[in-house]
Amino acid sequence: MVRSAPREKTSDGFNMDQGVVGFATETESQPPAQGTSTRGKRRRGGGRGTRLWAIVGLAPFVAFMLVFAIYPFGQLLWMSLSDTSQRGAGFQSSWAGFTNFVAVWGSRLDMQSILVTTLFVVLAVSITIVLGTALALMMRRVVAMRRVLQSVILWPAVVTPVAISVLWLLIFSPTVGVWNKLLGTFGVPGQQWLNTELGAFVLVVFIDVWHWTPLVFLVVFTALLGIDSGLYEAARIDGASERKITMSIVLPSLRPAIAVAALLRLVMAVKAFDEMYLLTRGGPNHATNLISLQIHSLFFDNLEFGHAAAFGIYVVLIVVVIALLGFGSYRLLGNVRATRKQAMR
Amino acid sequence: MKSGAMRQERLSVFSEALAVICVALVALPIAWMVVQGFLPNRAIVSNGWTFPFWLGNFQELFGAGSPFAREIVNSVVITAGTVLLCVLVGSITGYVLALLHPPRWLAAIALGLSALLPIVPPMVLVPGLYITMSRLDLIGSLLGLILLNTVFNLPFAALLMLNFFSQSPAELREAALVDGASEVGAFLRVMLPLSRPAVSAVGIYTAIMAWNEFLMGLTMTSGGAQAPLTVGIAGLVQPYSVTWGAMAAAGTVAAVPLVVLTIFAGRQIVAGLTAGALKG
Repeated sequence: MVRSAPREKTSDGFNMDQGVVGFATETESQPPAQGTSTRGKRRRGGGRGTRLWAIVGLAPFVAFMLVFAIYPFGQLLWMSLSDTSQRGAGFQSSWAGFTNFVAVWGSRLDMQSILVTTLFVVLAVSITIVLGTALALMMRRVVAMRRVLQSVILWPAVVTPVAISVLWLLIFSPTVGVWNKLLGTFGVPGQQWLNTELGAFVLVVFIDVWHWTPLVFLVVFTALLGIDSGLYEAARIDGASERKITMSIVLPSLRPAIAVAALLRLVMAVKAFDEMYLLTRGGPNHATNLISLQIHSLFFDNLEFGHAAAFGIYVVLIVVVIALLGFGSYRLLGNVRATRKQAMR
Repeated sequence: MKSGAMRQERLSVFSEALAVICVALVALPIAWMVVQGFLPNRAIVSNGWTFPFWLGNFQELFGAGSPFAREIVNSVVITAGTVLLCVLVGSITGYVLALLHPPRWLAAIALGLSALLPIVPPMVLVPGLYITMSRLDLIGSLLGLILLNTVFNLPFAALLMLNFFSQSPAELREAALVDGASEVGAFLRVMLPLSRPAVSAVGIYTAIMAWNEFLMGLTMTSGGAQAPLTVGIAGLVQPYSVTWGAMAAAGTVAAVPLVVLTIFAGRQIVAGLTAGALKG
């Protein structure tokens, strides 16, 4: 409402003055860039001056990325190809070829951390997605509790991960945890989960699920509230059952939101570090040693700089390949669906 | 018909009950930590259920010789600097990409980096960053942590602003230019004031991220008075430590501002998180 009124006025003014100002013709020959489809047919304001400002305006961003992303990545590449050691305050390195990259294949701990991370990512992502979506569907009729729910459910997503580690330590610590206190009150012997391989891994997945299911819930719940309720009504009048409505109307329209949540969760799970660093330090017996923890200990504890860098490069390659595969399959699926829809018509 | 209505009612009762359970599952563990922060160690360690109210943990944290107060100040400075830089650089970048038609190759580089950086685990970059930061003599400095926090949040900030500006009425900028405003003036006086909702989403989101940041603080400082709050808390988490109360109190100090924030800025947080979800 606020937006449409000035749009009329300004576009008139723009058209009127266009001839007077005489915009450079070179802008016309440019193909329309993304995000301009609404006014792509109209001539764009700006000539050489705008182009200059565009370059100046992007300079800070590009400079930031050059100094703190591209240059460090170059350093990482160089480090992975050299034999680096610490000399006083600085580093000294000599060319080592691909020995570091070969060393990764021979390192049992590297391979184990990739395995542990894969298991962690698959479990944590699938559980949070299924649970978050199911909870959002089951609670879509919430009215009285909605405000409280929408506020409290934000807490895990915003509270400092370090504090979250502290609070779960206070619950599951074998010595002071309240869980053991509860068990003791009922005469059950206390657990030592954080000290066993399987127990620690399950706990780490559980804490991640507690931490991030609310985020999935929020994304899906927000999408649910956006679905036109007329759709339900129409289906209900047509005599469709609740289950049918959920399966064939609600879930399909949630697909984009669920895909976005899954992508986000995937990225986050691969990055996981804080909680495991504080709760288990990758142990016991490296059972929770995720790739981030492995790189951390290679670099800061073992001082194997080249090895840490080469392992990191492998991780980047894996992540990029997975991202491309995921993106590709999502588009492919979209295409298949689109053609099927056309065929049905 | 009647049974259908009854079913609906039962479903909504079920919904409300489930919501109560979920709220409890989220809130109780956090509340437990807060409670432990106000207990002496002997009550935490004991097998009984006694809750003697005690402020000693906080006195210990803020007492002489403890870097905790300093670490809070560090975190506040890092958060403020990060928010400022992200809002400033992010909004300019988003604006340019959405409306000023930068050269294709430049836009492709900026967008490509914004898509790539968020999916790379930060820990992978730490070895390279560590060398970069030591060359720039930024190890252990607040400025260094501000810059690193900015880099990792900038892609999100730029993409969210890009998204906002590409949906805003571009004719306003053109009208301002026609009326004689400079390109900078059109941005500062017309378009930026228009983007208040997007700027506040970016600001709140980056504030949360910077306040919670742990990895860079851990790896780029040597702890103590140089470190942010999160690293200070981590220092209290020792496998066989006896400072459980102080640890819980410190976790509470870090968590409470955020919980309070959800009450006042819940809507902006959801906007930031879900936009972050869409763009991240």
